[in-house]
Amino acid sequence: MGTYSLNPRALSAQARGGAAPASSQAGIGLRARHHREILQRRPPLGWLEAHSENYFAQGGPQRDILLQIREHYALSLHGVGLSIGSTDPLDRTHLCELARLIRDFDPMLVSEHLSWSSAGGRFLNDLLPLPYTEEALTHLVARVREVQETLTRQILIENVSSYLQFNASTLTEWDFIAALAQESGCGILLDVNNIYVSAMNHGFDPHTYLNAIPRDSVQEIHLAGHTLNRVGSREIRIDTHGSQVSEPVWALYRTALRRFGHVPTLIEWDTDIPALDVLVAEAAKADLIAEAARAVAA
Amino acid sequence: MLSLRELQLSFTTAVLDGSSTAISPWIRADGLSPTARVNIYRNNFHEGFLKALALGFPVIQRLVGEDYFRQLGRLFVAEHPSRAGNLHHIGCAFAGFLRDQFAATPYSYLPEIAELEWAYQECLIAADAVPLDLTPLQSVAPERLADLRFEVHPACRMVSSEFPIVRIFCVNQEDRDGTELIDLRQGGDHVLLRRKNDAVELHRLPAAEFALLRSLSRGATLGDALEIAQAVSSEFDLAKTLRHLVELGVFTAVQTT
Repeated sequence: MGTYSLNPRALSAQARGGAAPASSQAGIGLRARHHREILQRRPPLGWLEAHSENYFAQGGPQRDILLQIREHYALSLHGVGLSIGSTDPLDRTHLCELARLIRDFDPMLVSEHLSWSSAGGRFLNDLLPLPYTEEALTHLVARVREVQETLTRQILIENVSSYLQFNASTLTEWDFIAALAQESGCGILLDVNNIYVSAMNHGFDPHTYLNAIPRDSVQEIHLAGHTLNRVGSREIRIDTHGSQVSEPVWALYRTALRRFGHVPTLIEWDTDIPALDVLVAEAAKADLIAEAARAVAA
Repeated sequence: MLSLRELQLSFTTAVLDGSSTAISPWIRADGLSPTARVNIYRNNFHEGFLKALALGFPVIQRLVGEDYFRQLGRLFVAEHPSRAGNLHHIGCAFAGFLRDQFAATPYSYLPEIAELEWAYQECLIAADAVPLDLTPLQSVAPERLADLRFEVHPACRMVSSEFPIVRIFCVNQEDRDGTELIDLRQGGDHVLLRRKNDAVELHRLPAAEFALLRSLSRGATLGDALEIAQAVSSEFDLAKTLRHLVELGVFTAVQTT
């Protein structure tokens, strides 16, 4: 394993050095049902983001087609299963698969979630919330460092939506993720929809969250749709990734752009996946908002 | 104060086993009971798992119907929770689970279909390799033939069954209406699955050819595998069979030691 700097800026340069940088255009999450159409039509998208685990194959059509797509688009790898926040040992097999994928696809960004998904060897394959304690922070810093050292590159950590809070928490989520970035050298993938969903579910001001995140730590932004559900007497927003981005989330995106400047932005859609054109249109809408934000800033 | 470890173990128990007694005191109620909050995660977990399971076993889902498939899936995950951060492996034990569920019932063909679907999924993500052609075989001295050992292509699987699984599988593909009647007593299949040009092909092999290939895939020498094949059929034609298997791209290497 080579030596490498834990200085976030040096890592950032290293992370982006190997691949084409994202264009100023927004990207979309790459889903299998759009593989062929993307290759045939090559829609005007800044980049594509693949869920890493979907391509944990030794060979075969999924991997082949991703290699073909990679010839035409910049790619980022977004992990949903590493369980970086778990107290089980890191799964070395999983990490090796990820390292192989990074070697083969040369992604511009690699990200994981501020969550855990397994305990005692049993996996829930979901993005589960952490208690925001000093113990959890120390654990996460060590885990992120271990992953970055194994992959010899910086990773981004994304905030998740949550439907509960642990009463052991002594830190806010925004202070927790800011400290994690500072202490581990990871970047932040800011999911604006997730901030909004959690803010509504737990009653905090999403602007407080944005304002607590260091300006230079955000390297990617996610946008997605969510649903409003009634559970008992309460309204709970659930991060379903199954609809268009909601108006309040677009508004929060505008605020985020003012704070963080231009950041590669991605539209995610995972359930009831619509026609490719719907996703391309959402990405174009993000582009328009980003252009307007740049015009105001100039 | 609950440690991070204890919290995660209790939460996992609540989601997987449905008992939120241990985790509830550590969750803020905030207008909604801790159990109701855990249930949001429990529901997300089941939906995610069932969706992934259905992707791997579309024929089983079609045969038993969506509602019953969900019931089976929930029973299955309670016994065989996911053991990895990617969902490729969750179906590994499904055929065995169905075997226990449907042993000695009129539905004992279901585990055989599940085995075929699992083999199909495994083929889809197996490694690529260059198949062997006939050239290296033609230069082997006749007296050395019996000592040959073959390496089988990683994107090959073999399944044999008591019921006509290939027909059931084909009739229940998405583009078929599935109304065709199949006589379950028509007998079983010896199936070779082989991924070629990005698609998995199903080949029904004669029993003796299947027996030869299965022996070779388990490391037997050609001589030993031939004995097994001849025990299945006295008219077994080795030269023709080897040519056929090579044409199907089943082997990647041959060792003459």
